Amino acid sequence: MKYKSYKAFVAMFLMAFVTSTWVLAAPVRKKLAVKAGSIITISGADIKNGTILIEDGIIKAVGKKVEIPWDAFVIEAKDRIIMPGFVLAHTSSGLDRANENIPEVPFLSTFDSIDPVSSYFEDSLRDGVVAMLVLPGNSTLLGGTGTVVKPHGITVEAMLIKRYTGLKISLRPTGNTSRMGHMQRFRRYMSDLKDYLEEYEQRKADAKEEKKPFDEEIDIRKQPMVDLLNKKLTAFIYCDRASDVPKAIEIHETHKFNTVLVLSPYCYQAAPLIAQKKLPVILSPELIIWETNEETNEEEMKVIPMIFHKAGVKFAFQTDTSQYGRRYLWYQAATAVRHGMKRTEALKSITLYPAQFIGVDDRLGSIQAGKEATLIFLTSDPLDAQAWVDKVMVAGEIVYEKEKDQRLKKLLEKPKEIQEPKDTD
Amino acid sequence: MRVNIILLTFLLLVPASATFGKADITAIKAGRILTISDNPIMDGVILIRDGKIADIGTGIEIPENASIIDAGNKVVMPGLVDASAVPPVRGDLNEQSDEITPTIRISTALNPQSKVLKRMVQTGTTTLYVSPGWRNVIAGLGVVVKPTGKTPQEMIIKKDVALTTVMSLDSLYGNRTPRSQPPTNFYFRRPTTRMAIIWMLRKGFFDAQGYAKSGKKDDPDLEILASVLDDKIPVRLNVRRAINIRTALKLAEEYDFQLILDECTEGYKVAEEIAQKQVPVVLGPFYYYPGSSSQFREGREVNWNNAGILTKAGVKVALTSGAQAQSIDLLTAAAFAVRHGMPYDKALKAVTIIPAEILGVADKVGTLEKGKDADILILSGDPLKVTTRIEQVLLNGKTVYKAQ
Repeated sequence: MKYKSYKAFVAMFLMAFVTSTWVLAAPVRKKLAVKAGSIITISGADIKNGTILIEDGIIKAVGKKVEIPWDAFVIEAKDRIIMPGFVLAHTSSGLDRANENIPEVPFLSTFDSIDPVSSYFEDSLRDGVVAMLVLPGNSTLLGGTGTVVKPHGITVEAMLIKRYTGLKISLRPTGNTSRMGHMQRFRRYMSDLKDYLEEYEQRKADAKEEKKPFDEEIDIRKQPMVDLLNKKLTAFIYCDRASDVPKAIEIHETHKFNTVLVLSPYCYQAAPLIAQKKLPVILSPELIIWETNEETNEEEMKVIPMIFHKAGVKFAFQTDTSQYGRRYLWYQAATAVRHGMKRTEALKSITLYPAQFIGVDDRLGSIQAGKEATLIFLTSDPLDAQAWVDKVMVAGEIVYEKEKDQRLKKLLEKPKEIQEPKDTD
Repeated sequence: MRVNIILLTFLLLVPASATFGKADITAIKAGRILTISDNPIMDGVILIRDGKIADIGTGIEIPENASIIDAGNKVVMPGLVDASAVPPVRGDLNEQSDEITPTIRISTALNPQSKVLKRMVQTGTTTLYVSPGWRNVIAGLGVVVKPTGKTPQEMIIKKDVALTTVMSLDSLYGNRTPRSQPPTNFYFRRPTTRMAIIWMLRKGFFDAQGYAKSGKKDDPDLEILASVLDDKIPVRLNVRRAINIRTALKLAEEYDFQLILDECTEGYKVAEEIAQKQVPVVLGPFYYYPGSSSQFREGREVNWNNAGILTKAGVKVALTSGAQAQSIDLLTAAAFAVRHGMPYDKALKAVTIIPAEILGVADKVGTLEKGKDADILILSGDPLKVTTRIEQVLLNGKTVYKAQ
């Protein structure tokens, strides 16, 4: 026993030592002034040759004529374009396993499953993502709650931006369940929950009447669903087909949830309905699909973001790692611009809108006085395939520099020495 | 009577050819023409007659009867050539009755109504090479087609273009070693190891050498292999790992056949050796990281700049969609190749003239030059910008796609 506590003490001492040196190695400057070649503020007009003044990691002022205090540390970025870091409103990557195989597990949290050393987070930071909502996958009816993290930090705690954000509801039935059975399971869960809450309130009222103390808490397994009803949590409802969208709207209206729809590309046919209900949407990573026109028998290209854009739906893009380009948020935005989306709107769909959907727009999503100085420094226009993220600043601290990115170097440069197969005898 | 017939044909032909000629002259006026073969032409004209480029340049007089496509300040470039495209074929691409099937031709299975073709046109691909699948050691003969025409014959522009052979582990797929059942069982196919793949390739070419010497003409399979050794048909060898690439180069030297490397995931490791042997490379699909599926199994170490490193070493590199069903367009592939380090002009060539040369159809497609097929893309801007879109596609001088 004594031995154990001694060990723990040493460990704690070592930890404290390591953290203190780490902090010393990367001091956060109190006052910073970033002189940028161009600033894409998102909230307002772009600023050429502007300055961003930062104090304690918070943006104090942005503009062309910002007076730089004498004690501010100046970062020269005249040949860079600076914009707010990208925000990913929905991902299930970087998790141990994204789906629990029991259908009703709203009490689970991705906080317990996020793997900080997963290369997914390293890649995300390299690609300019500064905040992401990690939610359970799309294969569980009530999948659990999400966690907003930044892709930087050695533990989940260090990565954390906001815990307990959003709850995933998936309308795609799994296994042998039919869509009828899937919906019925949801309705039954909700009616059981309402019964439970009524009984709970009754017990509370009874206790009050009898002037007894009442210390019963709500069942923790049900708490997230109760918080959905209280609007403390947002429902992220996944729809796999256009026919799932009316069901999601039924859920949204019956239970008065705060709702964000997470859509597969084939939900595009429900775009007018979604526009009418003014629900925010997270588009699938697959932005272009082909479908056969039944009248002409011709293959038609369907550009999903354009369909939603024209319908007037506010949406955010998401990414996946399966293909060229799709892993980058800027590429998703550029694809939409290619097919006619307004550039400013496309840029908002990878910064401000996702920040709003996941409730971090008070800190992130645009360059404005009062928001966090979480910025990306780009080598050229964000929608250009030749632009690289040169630096990432999180709350006034530079956390990524391309020139120090060893993994990227390895991926782009010719190996210096090729290992010849060795003789083994 | 005979005079009458001649007169009648003449009378019929005159108006027919007149209307034919009138409808078939098209002029494209464009702000910027990327010819690929030469410097870009500013404010130029492309004159198309009977599906071919009749003239190209500045100050060209446009005939009165020509229909004019005014591409204003847009960019015009040749249609893209995909040297490894998804075959427009219904059903399986792999013949499972044997491992050595050189006489199998994908041209016999083409489906002109395939949806794949229409998608390709919309992403700018106007010439494509398709081949049998990669699960036989010697899989068969590929063909160059255009995504147009009502019959397979109308699509084909070059037959028996290359012999698809496979040295990567894909050819092991589904093969099992005999354990409880007799080894004569039909379902136990060889090879099951990398050694056996190479042995089977060697044996095939060895037999072909003997066959050629014997002067016999009774084996169609060996006939094809013999014409490979005779340099009439090049070999497209699918390889991924560096060790395999080396073996492929050795084999080509041993049997003296014309080699083209397919996929070549680890080509960057042996770029100099490939360049030295002057072997062209048709790159496969691009992967960010190696994964666990069979496609990835061998590309254990990826380099995003594979295309760039190979090009720098002096290798002829074609960028392709890698015969993948998901629609990756060639212009995106080229844009990302440039992002990862390939020079801009080389990347443009890698989706146009280089694959055309590798496929042996550079006299017809790949650049905008007098006499070549009028396969033309009209773009809203720089072809390698993600925000640029394809506005119009002409195939043999006819508009086959127009963006709404």
